Amino acid sequence: MEREASASLLQRTRTSKFRESLAGYLMQSPALLVLTAFVLIPMAAAIFLAFTKYNLFDPPKWNGIANFQHLFSDKRLWRTYENTVLIALGSVVGNNVLGLLLAMGVNRAMSRTFKYFLRAALFFPVLTTAASLAMVWRYIFATDRGAMNWVLGQLGIGRIAWLTSSEWALFSVIMYQVWRSLGVTMVVYLAGLQGIPQELYEAAKIDGAGSRQLTRHITLPLITPSAFFNVVMGFIAGFQIFEGSYVLTGGGPGDASRTIAVYLYELAFRRFEMGYGATVSVTLLVLLMLLTVLQFWIGNRWVYYE
Amino acid sequence: MSSLSGAETKLRGGRAGPAIGVMTRLSRRLGKGIIYVFLITMAFVELMPMMWLFSTSLRLPKASFDLPPDFFPTSFRWQNYQAVFTSERINYPLFFLNSLRIAVVVTVGQLFTCSMAAFAYARMRFRGNGTIFFLFLASMMIPGTAVVLPYFIIVKFLGLTDTHWALILPGLTSAFGVFLLRQHFMALPADLMDAAKIDGASFFKIYWSILLPTVAPGLASLGIFTFLASWNEYYAASLFLRSWDKYTLPLALTLLAGYMGTGSIAEILASVFLSILPVLAVFLLAQNFVIESMSRSGMKG
Repeated sequence: MEREASASLLQRTRTSKFRESLAGYLMQSPALLVLTAFVLIPMAAAIFLAFTKYNLFDPPKWNGIANFQHLFSDKRLWRTYENTVLIALGSVVGNNVLGLLLAMGVNRAMSRTFKYFLRAALFFPVLTTAASLAMVWRYIFATDRGAMNWVLGQLGIGRIAWLTSSEWALFSVIMYQVWRSLGVTMVVYLAGLQGIPQELYEAAKIDGAGSRQLTRHITLPLITPSAFFNVVMGFIAGFQIFEGSYVLTGGGPGDASRTIAVYLYELAFRRFEMGYGATVSVTLLVLLMLLTVLQFWIGNRWVYYE
Repeated sequence: MSSLSGAETKLRGGRAGPAIGVMTRLSRRLGKGIIYVFLITMAFVELMPMMWLFSTSLRLPKASFDLPPDFFPTSFRWQNYQAVFTSERINYPLFFLNSLRIAVVVTVGQLFTCSMAAFAYARMRFRGNGTIFFLFLASMMIPGTAVVLPYFIIVKFLGLTDTHWALILPGLTSAFGVFLLRQHFMALPADLMDAAKIDGASFFKIYWSILLPTVAPGLASLGIFTFLASWNEYYAASLFLRSWDKYTLPLALTLLAGYMGTGSIAEILASVFLSILPVLAVFLLAQNFVIESMSRSGMKG
């Protein structure tokens, strides 16, 4: 009697386990299918194509490591990578310095309405289409009748060819990028600030800590997880900047502000060098993965986890 | 925070002499003034292009590039907005509907696939679920730019070039969405599910009618992100859409910018402004959802 009961219990757990597995596989399958078809297979395909010569119309021809050898002599590639690193670095630094300062200011703002207004105003550019807003910035940056030069003119500073000189074009793209993504950075910091328990501040104040010490010893250490998130995401996005370069400056003058994403676009879809384009995308893939892993490794040293 | 700094001032003023109290209060007020100036300046810088956009869209086209630049409307020519809907060059309602259709399908699809997968990874035990979830996490590191090339080939192979499906299909799930919603499902108490299991409810039923409603805030924030991203998407649209009647708003507006020299700039800016309105409405209604979800992904990412 007892044995029978336990056997049927075993049977039941087995079928319920089977049911759970089946249901689990079924429920994840739509997401997994899309991921496989549009991320995993393309990635594998990119790695394969990187070793071929392919122009989209004739079947791909095996090319060995010739594409990879070509990377070293491709001066434009090096130039665009240099630009991309500078733009990514510039926007990550600009975003995080300004974003943290703004978040601390907004967090301190007195009235709720003012806080709400600030948050909305700073986040606004994030909502807009990068491509159409880059258009508006083209006007602002215009040399002759642009708003920026007019303001500088009032301050007695001469005209600057923001978009058409090789000294300034890259910097203009960075300014545009910071302008555009500052809201996201700020909001992540703001959330981090609001997550710091108030008791910590109160306890420190009872111990006689001043506001500078509070910032140095409580706010900054406890905000490091948000900073880490912002920096990692900032670099991933920064290495893929397309619109900021393509619409704002067209990558010019020359290659002065061309990013790797724009170069890749032109290689693949203008010149149909799909094989070599894939090689370039593999370098980007490897580079970003290494960078992210490196950041996680370094992150262990400076990010404070409770 | 604000009430605390007030308390702090009182505390310090009480301890130190009155003269020092006045000094600290003065420097504190000065510090606060600097913070406010900084905040307002930055808010102005962030809003300025939009203000110029809006006020110029209401001007006579020939006054568009007047110097000094006006950031506030100098006239109110609402005809410019009317022209957007009647113009030959901009078939605004068509582009609007194209964008809306794609964004809605992508958003609904993503909420569905991501929440099911997230539920499975967070709440169900089956062989390999940890590994597959890790696959999703790792795929977040793959830059879209790096896979766009084979993706283009796949779309071409499937014969989907110049269709909206080229933009919809890859958007039907996202690793970020699976990750975000999994965090939400993990945060729910276990008894919620156990009770339903004992009652003999199927897993899909537990997911659909018990757990899904409780993660509504997570769904809302993912929905907003997805809608925004899809609504503003430009790269893939410019890659795949060829015939103009399939254009999305960002693509149409940028191509129209080519006419900025020749056509009516005010009309183009009016249509740019109109394209921002829906997302602005969504954002103002759901600001807290967006912020809350940022904090979740930001803290635990």
